Amino acid sequence: MTEPTVALEGASLRPTGAGEVPLRSGAMHYWRLSPDSWRDGLRALKAMGVPMVETYAPWQVHEPEPGQWDFGQTDPRKDLGRFLDMAAEEGLQAFVRPGPHINAELTYFGLPAHIVHDPAMQARSPSGRPVILYFPPRMFPVPSHASEAYLKAVGGWFEKVAEVLRPRLHPEGNVVLLQVDNEIGYYFRNGPFCQDYHEDALVQWIAHLEATHGSLEETSAAHGTEYVTWADALPPKRFGEGVHGEEPKPGELTLQLDWARFQEQMLTTVIDRMAGQMRDAGLGAVPFIHNVSLGEQGLQANVPALGEVVDLVGLDYYHPAREHRTIKRRTLYLDGTTGRAYAPELGVGAPPWFTPLGHDDSLYTALCALAYGLRGFNLYMAVDRDRWYGAAIDSRGRARPEADDWMRLNEALEDLAFHRLERKADVALMIPREYARYARQTHLLGPLSPSSLEALGGTPVDGCRGDSLGFDRPIQLRWWQDLARLAQALTAAGVPYRYVDSEAPLDRLTAHRLIVAPSYTFAATERWARLREATDAGVTVVTGPSAPTLDTTFREATFEPVGERLSLDDEVQVQAAIHAWVERFSLRRPYPTRPPIETSLHEDESGDRVLFVLNPTQESHRAEIALPRPTVATDRLSGEVFEGTDSLTIPMRPQRTRLLSLEAAQ
Amino acid sequence: MIGPDLRVEGFDVTSWRHLVGLFMPNLEERMDRDAHESDDPAPPDPTEGQGGTLVVIDDPDRVILAARHSFDGAIPALIGESSSQDLRGLCASHGAMRVVVIRAGAMDELSDALAEGLAQEPESHRHGYIAQWLVLLRAVRQMMEVGDLRVWPNPVANVPLPSARMAQRALDAVLPDGKALLAALFDRGRPYTSLVIRRRNGLIDLVAGPDLLTQWTGPLGGDWRRDHRVFTRAVERNVAPVHLGLFAEVSAVREALRSGEPGEWARQVAVRDVIFNPMPMSVKLALGADAVRGISHVSSGLLGGVDLWKAAGPIVSRVRSRWTEIQSVSDELGFDPLVVLAALMRRDEPDLESDEH
Repeated sequence: MTEPTVALEGASLRPTGAGEVPLRSGAMHYWRLSPDSWRDGLRALKAMGVPMVETYAPWQVHEPEPGQWDFGQTDPRKDLGRFLDMAAEEGLQAFVRPGPHINAELTYFGLPAHIVHDPAMQARSPSGRPVILYFPPRMFPVPSHASEAYLKAVGGWFEKVAEVLRPRLHPEGNVVLLQVDNEIGYYFRNGPFCQDYHEDALVQWIAHLEATHGSLEETSAAHGTEYVTWADALPPKRFGEGVHGEEPKPGELTLQLDWARFQEQMLTTVIDRMAGQMRDAGLGAVPFIHNVSLGEQGLQANVPALGEVVDLVGLDYYHPAREHRTIKRRTLYLDGTTGRAYAPELGVGAPPWFTPLGHDDSLYTALCALAYGLRGFNLYMAVDRDRWYGAAIDSRGRARPEADDWMRLNEALEDLAFHRLERKADVALMIPREYARYARQTHLLGPLSPSSLEALGGTPVDGCRGDSLGFDRPIQLRWWQDLARLAQALTAAGVPYRYVDSEAPLDRLTAHRLIVAPSYTFAATERWARLREATDAGVTVVTGPSAPTLDTTFREATFEPVGERLSLDDEVQVQAAIHAWVERFSLRRPYPTRPPIETSLHEDESGDRVLFVLNPTQESHRAEIALPRPTVATDRLSGEVFEGTDSLTIPMRPQRTRLLSLEAAQ
Repeated sequence: MIGPDLRVEGFDVTSWRHLVGLFMPNLEERMDRDAHESDDPAPPDPTEGQGGTLVVIDDPDRVILAARHSFDGAIPALIGESSSQDLRGLCASHGAMRVVVIRAGAMDELSDALAEGLAQEPESHRHGYIAQWLVLLRAVRQMMEVGDLRVWPNPVANVPLPSARMAQRALDAVLPDGKALLAALFDRGRPYTSLVIRRRNGLIDLVAGPDLLTQWTGPLGGDWRRDHRVFTRAVERNVAPVHLGLFAEVSAVREALRSGEPGEWARQVAVRDVIFNPMPMSVKLALGADAVRGISHVSSGLLGGVDLWKAAGPIVSRVRSRWTEIQSVSDELGFDPLVVLAALMRRDEPDLESDEH
C-alpha cells in the first residue's frame, strides 16, 4: 500500500514537508487551450488568489482511437505532464480529475466513442435497450456502472494516465488531490426505473437481495411472492404494477425500497472500485474526492456511503441568485453530513445550453454557500474554454473584470483563514434516507427524475404520486414538507441549524444538542437505533409526527420510544416548540436581525470572526443587527466599514451578501 | 446539423447574456424573479395572476395519481379523480392556461422509443443532434396519438414534423455548407455582442463570440458602420467565406424582432441602423417584400386609405415566382425599395452611394 504524502485536515491539504494548502482552486482545461497561453492563464489564475489549479484529464482526448494514446507526443495541447510541470513552476499545486466520466460539456462526456458504442458496456433500460442521454451536441448511450467490460477498460485508462500523474504526485511533483469519476448518478438518466438492468447489474442485484434478506425464501417472504430461483427475483420495472387502488400488494413496497437502496449501493460500489483501480495504478498517495451534482436529494448517490470510499465528498454548485434557499439547504446538508463542506465545482459562468447565469449569480452562490458553511471550492471555470461562457480569465490568460471580485474574495478568505473557522449550530434536522428512497420510487415522471426536478428549481417530491398508498398520509411528500416547515421556523427564529443525513457517521449526529427526525408509520430500524445511540450520547432527539410501527419491509416491528414527540405537521406547534427549545437549551441566536435578512456567524477559538449578512429578496433593505458588544465590521469585498455599540445598521441591496470581518470596537 | 466536434467559445458572461437575451426578451426579468422556493411548503405567491400549466399524471384507467399547477403547487383534490374529463374545463377550473396529462410510465417508454428510433435510423448520426431530436419528437407525437400524452391547447396539432432531410434543406438556405454567418451588434456604437457560426462538412462546427472576433479583427476604428467590412474580411480569413453578415444597433434589432409593423426591417436598413454585408438573395427578397409592405402601409395613411400593397401585389407575386433566377430585388421591381423607403422616412434625396444593397 502506498504511503500517503498528503493529508486532508479540516478544509485544507497538508502535503508532507510543506505548508497548509486551503481547498481553493480554479479550473483550467489544458487540452482546450493553446500551450502558448498556458503560462499566462496559470499566472492569472494564481493572481486571482487560489493556491491550486484544477483540471480534468479526458480519456477521449488522450485515446482518440482504440490503443492510440497521445499525451503530447503528437498534439502539444494534450501534454498533461508539461501543463502540470508548468503549473509547478508557477507555484501552483494541482488537483487532477481523470474521470473516466468527466462531462466537461464534451461529446460523450469525455469517454471515447469506442467505449460508449460498445454494447457490452452500455447501461440497459428495463426492456434491455440502451439508455440514451439527451445532452448536446450528440445524444449517446450511457455506460453501465456495473459492466465488468467497462470497468476493465477504465482500469486500462487509469494505468495510462497514471504514467503521467504518478511521477508528479507530491512530493516529487505538485499533484496533491485527485478525483474519482465525476457526478456519479447514472449520467442524469436517474429516474427510478431508467437503469440499470445490464446483466452485470442484475448479478449485483441478486447479491444485494441476499445480503439484505438472507435466503431466497426470506427474500420471497419480504417481497410477498415465491421465487423458485434467484433468477426469478427480478428488479421492479415500474411502481404501479403492484398497486391496486390505494393498497399496494404485500411485498411491493419492500421490493421498491430494495431497488432504491440497491441503486445507491451500485453507485458507491463503482466509485469504490474505481478508487481501488487508481490506487492500483500507484496514485494512492494523495487524497481522493468525489463530487455530487445538483439535485442530490432526489439522486441515488448516497453521500455518507460515498464518504466511506473516498476521503471527501462535495457538492457542485450552479445556481441563480434567486435559488437562495436551495443553496442554503444544500450547504447545510453538506456541512451537517460531512462536517467539511467543499464544492469541487463552484460555477463561474456556465455551459451555453443551460439557463444563463450572470456574474452576480455566481458571486451570490459563492457567498451564500460560504455563509452557511462551505469551507473550500474549485472555481469552475477560472480560465475560459470551449463550450463555456463567463470564466473569470479569457482563453489567452487575460483577467476579465469579474476576476477582481474573485480575487478580493480569495484574499479575504486567505486573510481570515476562513478554512479554519466554524459555523456553530446546536440543532440538526435529520433527512431520513428511507423516506427519500420511498419518494424516489413513487416518482411518476420517469427520466424527468426527482433529481432533475430539484436541479431545475423544484423539489425532489414534485413528481411523486399524491395518494397515501394505504398509510395515514402521503409520506412520500410529507417528509419533505415537514422538514421545510421546521427549517423556515428556525430561520425565522434566527436559530442556526444544519441538515444531517440519517446515514451520516454517528459523530455528525452527536455534534448537535438537538436532532429533529421526522417519523411516520414506517421507519428504518437502523435509523431508530442510531437515534437511540445519539440519545445515549446526550443529544435530545425529537421525532414525529407519528410513531413508527412498521420497518422497511413493512412488517410490524418494535420501536422503543426515542426522545420526545412533536407534531411536525402542525405549524403552530412547531413554532411554539422552537421558542421553547431556545429557552430550554439556551440555543444561541448570534447577531439576530429581522427577516427577511439573515445572518450567519463564523468563529474560532479567539471568538467571533466573520459575519455574513444576506438579503435574498429583490428589494433593498436596511439590516438592523443586534450586537453582543461594540463592534467594527468591515465588508471585505466593498471595503465599507460599519461600527456600532448595541447594533449595526447596514444597507443591503437586493440579492446581495456581505462578508464582514468583525473586530471589537476600541 | 450540429456536429459532435462543435466548438462554442469566446463569450464572457455579459456578451452571452446579451446574445441569449435577444431571443428571450424576458430573460433578465425571469432571472431576477424569485424561484418557487424549494423548501417552502406553502404555495408561492398567487399574485402572479392566472395562467401557468397544470400537469396531471394518471394511470391507464385515467385515474389521477398526481396533479400540480406551476404556480400553485400540488393539487391534492384531484388525486383519485378521473382525467377523462374535458381538458379545457379542467384547465379553466384550475385557472391554468394549459394542461398536460401524462400517463404514468409513458416517459420511460418514450426513452425506450428514442433508443429504438436511433438504432433504426443510423443516418441520424450523420445528421447530428437535430436529427436525433426529430426522432424523439416523432416518438412524442406517437405518444400523443395513442393518448399517453394529452395537451390542451395543443400547439402542434396540425403541424407536420419535418424530416431530417427537410431540416437540412432549410439549413442549406440559411447557411450553405462551407460558409459562415456573422452578426455583430452594438449599443450606441459600443460592442454589445457578436456571433459567428460556421458550417463545415454539412454540420455546424463553430459558434464563436466577441473574444475571438476581436482577436481576428485586431484594433478597429470604432465606427461599426465603417468597420463592418473589417469584421467580414477577418471572418473570411479565419473562419470561412461569409454568407450573411448582419451589423446593427441592438435597439434596431430588438425593435425589428418585436415589432409587427410592416417595413420595420427595411426601415432599419434604410437608416443604416442595420447593415447586411454580404446580403444573400433570400434576405434581399425578404427585405424587398418588407419594404413594399412598409411603403404600402405609410402611403395608405398619406393617400387617405389607398392601399398600395394591393397595387404592388402582382409585382410581389412575380418576385416570389421567380426568386431563384432574379439577380436583385431592385432589378425586378424597377426601383430600390430600401432607398425609396429611406428617402420617404428622411424626406430627402436617396443615398445612391450606399453599398449595402
